[in-house]
Amino acid sequence: MIAFQFPDLFFGGLWLTIQISVLGLAGALVIGTAVALLRVSPTALLRWVGGAYVEFFRNTPLVVQLFFLFLGLPLIGIRFSTDTFENNFRAAFIGMGLYHAAYVAEVVRGGLLGVERGQIEAARSLGLSYPQMLRFVQLPQTFRSVVPPLGNIAIALVKNTALASTIGVAELLSAAEIVESRTFRAEESYLAATFLFLVLTLPLGFVVNTLERRMVIAR
Amino acid sequence: MKRIIATLVAVIFAATACGGASTAPSATPAASATPSKPKFELSTYMYAIQTKGKIRIGTQEDNFPFSVKNPATGKWEGFDVDVGRELAKAIFGTSDDPDKNIEYVAVTSATRIPSLTDNKADVIIKTFTITDERKQQIDFSDVYFITGQRILVKKSDDKIKEAADLAEKTVCAQRGSTSEQNVTKATGGRAKLLLLDSYPACLLALQQGQADAVSTDETILFGLVKQDPNTKIVGKPFSDEPYGIGIKKNQGNDRNGFVPFVNQWVGTLISGGTWAKLYEKHITPVSNDKKQTPKG
Repeated sequence: MIAFQFPDLFFGGLWLTIQISVLGLAGALVIGTAVALLRVSPTALLRWVGGAYVEFFRNTPLVVQLFFLFLGLPLIGIRFSTDTFENNFRAAFIGMGLYHAAYVAEVVRGGLLGVERGQIEAARSLGLSYPQMLRFVQLPQTFRSVVPPLGNIAIALVKNTALASTIGVAELLSAAEIVESRTFRAEESYLAATFLFLVLTLPLGFVVNTLERRMVIAR
Repeated sequence: MKRIIATLVAVIFAATACGGASTAPSATPAASATPSKPKFELSTYMYAIQTKGKIRIGTQEDNFPFSVKNPATGKWEGFDVDVGRELAKAIFGTSDDPDKNIEYVAVTSATRIPSLTDNKADVIIKTFTITDERKQQIDFSDVYFITGQRILVKKSDDKIKEAADLAEKTVCAQRGSTSEQNVTKATGGRAKLLLLDSYPACLLALQQGQADAVSTDETILFGLVKQDPNTKIVGKPFSDEPYGIGIKKNQGNDRNGFVPFVNQWVGTLISGGTWAKLYEKHITPVSNDKKQTPKG
């Protein structure tokens, strides 16, 4: 297989893809949950801020956002690192996190709203503060119901890391393109990249399915 | 109903034909083109193109000074584009507007070969370096342009002077291009390569200090210097880049006689002085030199 002839490119690319995916997903979950809480907050201004975040990141192309983070921000003096390759790597996972956070936010918001109103009112009337109610009543139930859709977002995120190639991150797709341009073995190069992407996404899908089944039984 | 449509089509066709050849109005659209139309053997690909009425020329939309699709007018401009127009004239006969016989196919460095092998374009005229590896996939015409790879740096930079100075520096090049491999060769793999999709993006990276240098064919660097006068081109050319016109291999006799025809035409383009005129028109303004033939 061609991947073993160019291990630096393919497996180095795979490793970068994994790093961007993991860091991006972690960021997306944290930011997404925070934005979802803004969107269901009792304060109108916070709801508006959350809504604006979701609409902005969901309605602009990810590749444009990445380009902006890598080549746009330095124009106003913001840089994630002085080293170019650290900078574009960080731009890649930050971009992944910010963009997918919008989708996570929508899913989590749906989950939050899915918790019965009566439980929330009961919790508040028992004397729990709003944060306490979130912590002990609303969020635990939310997480259970949002695992399957979050799994889909995670898989989409792994696949979208391919766009990091446009800002010069030597991830999997970029490895395939470089090998293709050196060997002209297009089919093999892209098949190798496809296979390695599947190595990441298929187990992820399996984990999501298993979790989904567990959650259903636990309920 | 069919007849109405047929009549309409005929009227529109006649109207456009008259509009195109206003100096010599004629009753039938075919009559104006026939006298100067070259004759080809029926089995040749030139004949097939002539019969089809259009040649599909693959070139890039943002490759100054070789091919640019003018955003204001929508018209294609540049050296490669005019070379393509000359080729169209060689097949369809001289005309005021060769574009009416040309279907432009926008390609990038990475899609040049696939657009030929997938039969999306008849020729690729797009700063296309002839290499042995590429020759295994497609055919090339004789050399119609020669350039070399040089280095673009900021005007304030006095450290990078030659290819050897690129070691340990971040060098931007287009992904999927020979430039990338040339930098690797010239520095013994010691340059850090930032591979982006286009040279304008590389220029942006250079301006912001995300790259120390941009390296590719001198002719492309001319375009970047024109965009940003705060940059300069340094070093001797460290590669020999002969550009050819890309053509699909003649498999199953679907490109009969095409490469020999194009080669012969390239020869007359250069010997007849048209080449020098095109060079002066498009290249001289950025290179400040004049050439009579690709070699000098």
